Amino acid sequence: MSSSTTRKPGENASPSPSPSPNPNPPEESGSSIKRIKITKSSEDPDKKKVVVTSAGKRLKDVEISVPIVYGTIAFYLGRKASESQSHKWTVYVRGATNEDLGVVVKRVVFQLHPSFNNPTRVIENPPFELSECGWGEFEIAISLFFHTDACDKQLDLYHHLKLYPEEESGPQSTKKPVVVESYDEVVFPDPSEAFFARVQNHPAVNVPRLPPGLNLPTPVPTETVNERERGDTKDHALNQWFMNFSEADELLKLAAARQQVQAHIIKLRRQLSVMDGMHQLPKQASAYE
Amino acid sequence: MDAKDILGLPKNQIPIPQEKKSRLPKDSQRKSDGISREVYALTGGLAPLMPAIDVSQLKKRPPSDEKITWQWLPFSSSARKDDLQLFHWVRVVNGVPPKGDYAFAKYNKSVDIIKYTDEEYNKCLTDPGWTKGETDQLFELCEKFDLRFIVIADRFPSSHTVEELKDRYYSVSRALVAARATSSGDAAGHPLVKGPYNMQHEVERKRALSMVLSQTKQQERKDIEVLAEAKRIIESRIAAKAAGETELRVTGTADPGHSEKALGSGDLIVPGSLSGAAAPPIPITDYASTLTSLKLLRVYLRTYALDQMVQAVSSSAGLRTIKRIEQTLKELGVNLKPKVPTKAVCAEHLELRKEILTLLNLQKQLQYKEAEGTSIDDSLYMEAMGAPKRTPHGDQDRAFMAEPVAFGGDRPVKKDHKRKGSAGQSPLQSKRPRKMKAPDL
Repeated sequence: MSSSTTRKPGENASPSPSPSPNPNPPEESGSSIKRIKITKSSEDPDKKKVVVTSAGKRLKDVEISVPIVYGTIAFYLGRKASESQSHKWTVYVRGATNEDLGVVVKRVVFQLHPSFNNPTRVIENPPFELSECGWGEFEIAISLFFHTDACDKQLDLYHHLKLYPEEESGPQSTKKPVVVESYDEVVFPDPSEAFFARVQNHPAVNVPRLPPGLNLPTPVPTETVNERERGDTKDHALNQWFMNFSEADELLKLAAARQQVQAHIIKLRRQLSVMDGMHQLPKQASAYE
Repeated sequence: MDAKDILGLPKNQIPIPQEKKSRLPKDSQRKSDGISREVYALTGGLAPLMPAIDVSQLKKRPPSDEKITWQWLPFSSSARKDDLQLFHWVRVVNGVPPKGDYAFAKYNKSVDIIKYTDEEYNKCLTDPGWTKGETDQLFELCEKFDLRFIVIADRFPSSHTVEELKDRYYSVSRALVAARATSSGDAAGHPLVKGPYNMQHEVERKRALSMVLSQTKQQERKDIEVLAEAKRIIESRIAAKAAGETELRVTGTADPGHSEKALGSGDLIVPGSLSGAAAPPIPITDYASTLTSLKLLRVYLRTYALDQMVQAVSSSAGLRTIKRIEQTLKELGVNLKPKVPTKAVCAEHLELRKEILTLLNLQKQLQYKEAEGTSIDDSLYMEAMGAPKRTPHGDQDRAFMAEPVAFGGDRPVKKDHKRKGSAGQSPLQSKRPRKMKAPDL
């Protein structure tokens, strides 16, 4: 059984019983994934990890998640500002670790305010972003379309475009933009084997460790012609403004809060048990007289 | 019928006023005369089983053949020993004023205080702590103030406590009764003889009473707890003894071991049953159905999934409870919607919400129990009486029996539950420097 958690794609870390060219247990990237109990699927027919559906074989009780960040960055144009165009802003969807989302997302459609011409903007290639100039704040509808092996349904997000900063500290700076980002994760429950096989080694995607012996089909790369050079945002022009989302802080806070609450629950339970014992006292009191 | 009226249907328009007319006389017949309809309705529209007021008398007018006048006349009262002439309004019937003593003179009662002669005093009433003069004064004051010892103690020239005065008075009276009795039988029947005044006992009693009265909430709870523990120990000892006895019959060995087991299991059962009762089982069907519905989606956002799960968990709670959960989360410094909703964070968040729900339910239970238990204060006083030589509570170090803390917010609580900021809370509750966060979408 392989115990290494980081490995380069394409390398066989441990010998697999079957002679398939499949790379072995995939690497885990990012947030904690529960270890799946190793049960030999061949021995126990009830615990099949694979379910055959019309969409091809699906991996049951497995989820693939893609952490994304979406939001807007808006710059005040300063001297170049006009009445109708005071800000230049960019709306985007990026991988939370700035990896290329193109492995999962086929295209993104940004629906802008009707006052823009062609308010429906389709971005076919990563990085999925759109820049515009304007003066008004409004809600942008972001629709994610995925590759067919991932999901044939679209996923909608909504983001409010913010141009003006919270504190009104005098005239706006052209250097410091107004940044609003939201972290979320796109979850694919019970993904198809093909999809799993294709993305399992990609840094943008979180895949769980599968039990060994599960044979996945050979991954078929998606046919995408990327006009842009690269789909990731690691060296993006705006990446100095990208926010860092770390789950550690939140986890700590949650753990501390849970401890507090649990301690109180214990206290209250004790109090209640005392009261229960107490309620029978008046009958006993007469025995003392 | 009224509905039809509202709808504006034309039929039955003529019969309706007729109905009203027929209803009215029936109503007035049913109520008893003498009371207006509204007053009658206050009793629920039914005549009481036993009429408290003689209704026929209410509207009676005085017989018209008598002539009534009211006059301002002087009167004398047998209760007064002086000649003070007082006046009052008198109802004069046909020119004849009412006779007899002042109506309230009969209420002028006084206590029957036994007076002693000097010989009697010297014979059997001498006491080292009391001079004759003091005793005389005491008796004078007793008569003057009708045995109101608090006043007497106040007026008494030399300082004696109320109990001392009472003691002297009652022992003197008792001795007098005993001395004057013709036979022992007479004396025994006298209440003074039958129930002797026990000064020690009285002092103790009053001390215990004041202690109970001045107990703080803390001490009260500690006392309850100690008593409950004692009771439990006694019960478990009895149970253990019974168990031990049966065990002895079967096997002659390991008696203390068995009794300990009985004690242990007894202890375990109580909190176990409580936890089962206290935490309402979160409907598992809701949870599972949410999971399946999520799976059917083929793709969803983690935040959406969390929302669905939170709803499933809170489905058993009302809107107010949900608000309280959110209030608690805020007080704990936790974001209502996690800023970094990874799988782990969402799982923790959900668990935290569940635990807060449990906590709030427990607090509610505790409230109800406390409301029931206010009558237990009386039994507490009886406890104090039964064991006046109780040692002061040795359980100051019971750390867990602390102040009741309510994280939740603004419900009207009877006892003084402290809101956040209670002493001794963990330092984590203090505000942390907040990260710059994007506004919630």
